[in-house]
Amino acid sequence: MKFGLFYELSVPRPWTRESERTVYQNALEQVRLADELGFDQVWAVEHHFLEEYSHCPAPELFLTACAMITKKIRVGHGIVICVPEFNHPIKIAERTAVLDILSGGRLEVGTGRSATWTELGGFRANPDTTKKSWDEFVRCLPKMWTQDTFSYDGEFWSMPERTIVPRVYQRPHPPLWVAVTSPGTELDAADRGLGSLGLTFGQFAEQEKRIAEYRRRIRSCEPVGAFVNDQVSTVNFLYCHEDDATGRATGRRMADTFNYLAAQLISAREAFPSRSYQSLGLLPQLRRQATGPDATEQAGEGLAFGGPQRVVHALKRWEAVGVDRVNFLMNAMEVIPQADVLASLRLFAKEVMPAFADDKPAIGAPAVSA
Amino acid sequence: MPTFGTLELTRVVDRLPAMRDLDTEAWALPGAEILQLAFEVPRATESLLPRAMHPAIPPYATIWVTRYAESPVGPFILAQLRLMGRAGAHPRGFVLGAVASTDGAATALRERWGLPVVPGQVAFRRRHDRITATVMRDDVTVLDCGLIDPEPISGGDVQYIHSVTLAHAPLDGKTDPRLIQVDSRYTIKKAERGRPHVGVLVPSAWNAEPVRTLNPIAATVTSSDTDLPRIRFVMDVEVPVVRGTRRIRESREE
Repeated sequence: MKFGLFYELSVPRPWTRESERTVYQNALEQVRLADELGFDQVWAVEHHFLEEYSHCPAPELFLTACAMITKKIRVGHGIVICVPEFNHPIKIAERTAVLDILSGGRLEVGTGRSATWTELGGFRANPDTTKKSWDEFVRCLPKMWTQDTFSYDGEFWSMPERTIVPRVYQRPHPPLWVAVTSPGTELDAADRGLGSLGLTFGQFAEQEKRIAEYRRRIRSCEPVGAFVNDQVSTVNFLYCHEDDATGRATGRRMADTFNYLAAQLISAREAFPSRSYQSLGLLPQLRRQATGPDATEQAGEGLAFGGPQRVVHALKRWEAVGVDRVNFLMNAMEVIPQADVLASLRLFAKEVMPAFADDKPAIGAPAVSA
Repeated sequence: MPTFGTLELTRVVDRLPAMRDLDTEAWALPGAEILQLAFEVPRATESLLPRAMHPAIPPYATIWVTRYAESPVGPFILAQLRLMGRAGAHPRGFVLGAVASTDGAATALRERWGLPVVPGQVAFRRRHDRITATVMRDDVTVLDCGLIDPEPISGGDVQYIHSVTLAHAPLDGKTDPRLIQVDSRYTIKKAERGRPHVGVLVPSAWNAEPVRTLNPIAATVTSSDTDLPRIRFVMDVEVPVVRGTRRIRESREE
C-alpha cells in the first residue's frame, strides 16, 4: 500500500491578496514534509472557475514547484483534462515531458474530461463529445512521448509529422491513469491498460465490486501505452490525532466542509442532459454525506480520521478490497490550522505507515536514478 | 463558505402569493409535456435569490413551460422562470415568476404551492423542427422561446430540479413569508434535446430584473407523468437552509 497527498487547493472567501498564496505555500510545506516522511506521491487536480472549491487550474506549475523542493515523492498530474478546448494534446505531451525531466522521472499522468458545466461551459466544450476526445488523447499521448516522429489525423485534432521534444525522462514513459468517479469508468481504464485513479470516498462494498471487475477486465486489455498500469488508487480524507475523538471531530469537520463545497458544483448533467454524462458521478454521494440521512457515523466508513489505530483499521480494509494506493485530502478551506495538518502527517508516518511497510517498488518508479 | 443570495424581502413582500395553509392535497398530473430551456444569467441576479440560498456558479436560469393535459382544475399551460441555486447542498430552482393559461389554475397554484402565478395567454406549439412557447399579458408578448432541432435522448439523461417558492404561509398560527419546497416527481416517457432559443423575455413581467439570457446551455422537451405533491419542507427565507429548514410532513403522500 502506497500513500500520497491529493490537492484541490480550496481557498475560502474573502479572497485577499495573500489568501491564495497562503494556500499554495501551506501545500508546498506539506509536500516537503511528506517527502521527508516517506509518502509516495502528490497529486494535484486541474479545475477551472470552481470558486472556493478548487483554485488549481495549472497543476503542472504547482507540481513543478513540488518537484523542486523534494527528492523522492512522485508528482501526479491528476488529472489533465483531455478535451481540446481545454488542452491541446501537443502541449500536454510537451509540458508533461518537461515536468518528467525536471522531476527526474517522478511524473504520473492522470487523464479525464471534466464533469461540471461550470468548466465545460466556460471553455465552450461540447459535453456530448468529451469521452470521445479523451479516448483520442490517451491513445496518442504515449506515442507522442515515445516515437521519433508523430503525425495524426483524428476527429478532434490533427497534426502533420513532427518530432515532439523534449522526450519524457522515464522509460518507456510515465504511468497513465484515468480519473474514475462515475460507475463504469474503471472499465474504460481497464480496457486501455490504464490505472484507476478513484476519486470517490468511502463505501467498501461498492468499491470492492468495482475493483474486482477492473482486475478481471484489465487482464484482457489492449494497452494504449507501452506497459499496463494495473494499479488502483483511491482518495480519502486524512486527519490523524493522538486523541481519537479529536481526530474524528476535526476530520469530520473537514469532510463536511469539502462535501458541502462539492455539492455547490453544477454537474454537467444538471444543466446539459447528455448520454456522455449519464451518472452524476461523485456529487450525489457527497450531497448525501453533506446533509442527507447518510450524514452519520456510517458516512465515515473507511475515512482516515481519528486516532492512529482507527486510521490503520480503515486503511487495512481498503487494502483488503484491493486498493494499491490511497491519496489523502488533508484540508478543505483551511479549516484545519497548518500546524495541525503537519502534526497529522507526522503522526501518520510514525504510527500508521509502519503497519503497511512494503518493499515492492511502485509501478513507474524511475528506471534510472536522477 | 459559498456566497448567499441578497434578496431584500421588503422589496417583494407585497406581491407574494398568500397560501391558505400548508396542507394541500397532491395533484396527479399525467400526460404532461415539459419544455425546459437553460441559459446563463448575470451575476447581479443574486439580488433575486433569497438569503437562505446559494447562487449557482455560474448563475443560470430555466424557463419551464408545461402543458398539463389533465388536472383537478382541467387542462392548462404553465410557464415559469426559475433562478437556479442551492438550498444547502441541494440544487433548487427558485421560482421568480409564472403565468398560467387559466384563472382557475393560477388561483390554485398560488394558494396551494405558493407559486407566483398570474393568468395570461400561454401557447405551447409543436412543429416539425421546433417546439415553441409564447406568453402574452395584456396583449404584450413577455416570452417567446423554443427548442430548435429536437433529437431523441434517453429520459434517464434528463434531471429535473425541484422548485422553491416564496409565499406568505401560515405556520404555528402565524403567517409569514416562507420558502416552500415543491418536489414534484417525473416519470419521463419520451425526451428530446435541442438548441434553446429565446426571442423575447421581458424580465419585469417575471419579477426578474436583471435577468438576461447570456449564454444558452440546452433545451429539452419531455412527455412525462408528474405531480404537484403535498408540502414536506418549509424554510426560513433569511436563514441558511441548513439551519432554517422545518419538516412539516414525513412523506409527500401522507
